[in-house]
Amino acid sequence: MTADHWNEPSGAPETVTRDVLIVGGGPAGLSAAERLAAAGLTVTLVDEQPELGGQYYRRPAPAVAERWGDHRPEGGALVERVRAAGAECRTRHTVWGVDDDGRTLLAVDGEGRPVRLRGRYLIIATGAYERVLPFPGWQLPGVATPGFAQHLAASEHTPIGERVLVAGSGPFLLPVACSLVDLGVTVVGVAEAGTPYRPRPAALGALRHPARLRELAGYVTRLARARVPIWQGHSVVRAEGTDRVSSVTVAAVGDPAAARTFLVDALCVGYGFRPQTDLARMLGCDVRTDAVTGDATPVTDPRGRTSRPGVYVIGEAAGIGGAPTARARGLLAAFDILIREGRPPARRDLLRAGAALRGLARFTELTGRLFPSPARLTSSLVPPLPGDTMICRCEAVTAREIRAVAGEAEVPAPVDVNAVKARTRAGMGPCQGRECGVAVAALVRSVAGRTTDANVFPARTPIRPIPLRALLATETTPETTPKTTPGASPDALGPATPQEERP
Amino acid sequence: MSGVLTADAVIVGAGVLGAAAAHHLARAGHRVVILERGAPGREGSGTTAGNLHIQAVHSQRPGQEVPLDNARFLPLQRAASERWETLEEELGASVELRRSGGFTVAETPGQHAELVEKHAWETGAGIPTEVLDGDAARAALPQLGPTVIAATWCALDGYANPLKVTPAYLSSAARSGARTHPYSPVRRIDRHREGWRVTAGRDGGLVVDTPVVVDTAGPWLGRVAAMAGAALRMSPVAIQMHSTVRLPPILPHLVQHIGEGLSVKQVAAGNLLIGGGWPARTLDLEGRSLPSLASLHGNVRLAARVLPFLADLRLLRMWAGPLAATPDEMPLIGEVPGLPGFLVAGGTYAFTFAPLWGETLRCLAESKPPPVDIADLGPGRLMDHADHQADHQADHQEERNTQC
Repeated sequence: MTADHWNEPSGAPETVTRDVLIVGGGPAGLSAAERLAAAGLTVTLVDEQPELGGQYYRRPAPAVAERWGDHRPEGGALVERVRAAGAECRTRHTVWGVDDDGRTLLAVDGEGRPVRLRGRYLIIATGAYERVLPFPGWQLPGVATPGFAQHLAASEHTPIGERVLVAGSGPFLLPVACSLVDLGVTVVGVAEAGTPYRPRPAALGALRHPARLRELAGYVTRLARARVPIWQGHSVVRAEGTDRVSSVTVAAVGDPAAARTFLVDALCVGYGFRPQTDLARMLGCDVRTDAVTGDATPVTDPRGRTSRPGVYVIGEAAGIGGAPTARARGLLAAFDILIREGRPPARRDLLRAGAALRGLARFTELTGRLFPSPARLTSSLVPPLPGDTMICRCEAVTAREIRAVAGEAEVPAPVDVNAVKARTRAGMGPCQGRECGVAVAALVRSVAGRTTDANVFPARTPIRPIPLRALLATETTPETTPKTTPGASPDALGPATPQEERP
Repeated sequence: MSGVLTADAVIVGAGVLGAAAAHHLARAGHRVVILERGAPGREGSGTTAGNLHIQAVHSQRPGQEVPLDNARFLPLQRAASERWETLEEELGASVELRRSGGFTVAETPGQHAELVEKHAWETGAGIPTEVLDGDAARAALPQLGPTVIAATWCALDGYANPLKVTPAYLSSAARSGARTHPYSPVRRIDRHREGWRVTAGRDGGLVVDTPVVVDTAGPWLGRVAAMAGAALRMSPVAIQMHSTVRLPPILPHLVQHIGEGLSVKQVAAGNLLIGGGWPARTLDLEGRSLPSLASLHGNVRLAARVLPFLADLRLLRMWAGPLAATPDEMPLIGEVPGLPGFLVAGGTYAFTFAPLWGETLRCLAESKPPPVDIADLGPGRLMDHADHQADHQADHQEERNTQC
């Protein structure tokens, strides 16, 4: 047997070439795909989930849909329109990197086969991660995020526990608590770190959004009817348990003395969402640190254009704004591409989409005023954490170890977050530091006189751990016949180098 | 002058070589100042695979233009091997040192012949190795794939965690009074009286007078030497590493390839590291070097051919780091001809050689004979003829030898 015959793949990876390649099949990606495909451009939409819809329009499992109905039927309708418009939809495709040419996306399909994806335009609509912050006991089984509880409830009709406490901050906590109540769960309470539901001048702007006010009032009423208390200005101090979480202690923010402990079998803690920007950063789109959220956020204009010609970032990946904002951003990006392609949409559509986005921006701004800013939450909740709090759950690194490295020697500002990673292993696990990066940076900054060079660890390839088997296919990839429209304008994408966060 | 420090030696570059030199010099009672442009141990020394190469190495990493003289390496590898054996005791710290041996495999008859030839050299150099045919190799390491037709086994090969070695050296040096200045790039190096004046820091506010400068600046070695007036022909490159997710212990030995760029091992945390000197996409001396996807594919295909079980694992991470390579791929160590007291050390396989080069640099700084013959490894070979003051160097060397 010779080396040539061993373990060689059966064929070259498939290369998909389209006018527009969209990564992420949530509200933003779907909205863009619908308009672009309807206008006659070749569009491929890839998503890592088995069904399109993203987190917001997550499709229920068929059995669940049959028995309990679809909680967001407009999502299903949108997916249908995207398919009907002729967009190629590829689910269970995980995009894990960018090839050396700086533009070809590398993915694996559901069977672990490699797929190379190219578009004359790239639209990154990768959505958001839930914002988590460490606390003692957060590594226990039974501790999850509100989003995970919601996912179980919506797509599986399965409660995350029987006695559940919901905590964190943001407008998402109340609907999650309601979903749990609807499933028959005993929700022992909702701990909101801010005080958004107290009447005060900042809340007056809400009067301009009556639909949102009605929605909020609905949640509050349902929770009151189920006798679920809402504790404002409270956060989780610790979770305890042996094999899994059995109790959780909640206290007023900044006053751990007045703590109360509750028996639970599940705990959901989340502080809203933050943009999922790894792919945009790898593609070389400029990013900046958002002053309010502290997140590395791609620099975009209202059309979704980035610093890189031909690359758009839309939806939650461009900054948290909610599903209606994501849909408006998707439309505007689609319109911009159509204008560049000489197929401008009706002026009326353009004006309407622009106005919708501006209206939504006012609502997002109001939400920002009502809830504590993520940057402030991070800097108030992380520094006081006890030394034995697990900060990096993947590699079991404690706050004490990170503080020790940050406080070492005469290291002047800024501390290199990668040096902290190298010394402690924090951020080296399967989540690639996405979960702990913000907390590691906050801990470093809390050590007297320290600042950091970045707020998160740099984006690394692969974005998700991928099977090595997917890399065994032949390197040279003859282009399969590209499907682009005849007479299309030349390639919009220029060369790129990946970007680091710029404070 | 106020604000000027004095030291017996200034070390430029807090990588593994600089840290090892600092440890040896400080422990011998010298006042040592270490200047580092960024965070200590973050560049080549923090991104290396951490292999201890004791059996003869593969002579040509992927993309390398000139093969290295791997027979010349052997006495150096043997001397380094002895020093690694006692390193943890010497430093009073764990560096996750593991001497569990390694295989170098062959997949073609030509490569098999190379193994036999290198085994003869190794025997001559006092490094015990054994040549196994494919079945014997698979009996010893069942994970080896069917394409392996022969392998050499060396019980001395091993691993140490690079993220622990440099900090351990620096801590030991600090206990003996050495002072590390991170984020203090060197701005100027000037002749000053009989020695050198080194100006460093982001604002140039750190000034140190010293008789000895040790340039262990890795990929920046040439730039630092140029500040002192020496034009050295260096050829820094960036190579890359790949790590799988964690696994329970499965691969106790280092696995390398005699004909292609490959090294695979399992580290203490359980991850399998796949490397072999594959070229990165970019070498970026101002920022972060970027790994190449083509190299990832090439390296992983080779690794999964030699160790088929790897195909079932998941790739967790990849990264690139710089390598202070020389045009002839041989180590670089010695005093720069014409620049008394200006020492350089670098080149490939610096991690394996660190304990040896640390001790050698101390000997050179003290004008004592080095523990191994390094006459042909000095910087003179990398200088243009006009600069190569061979006569001066010979005189100087003789003078030193008579002092010892």
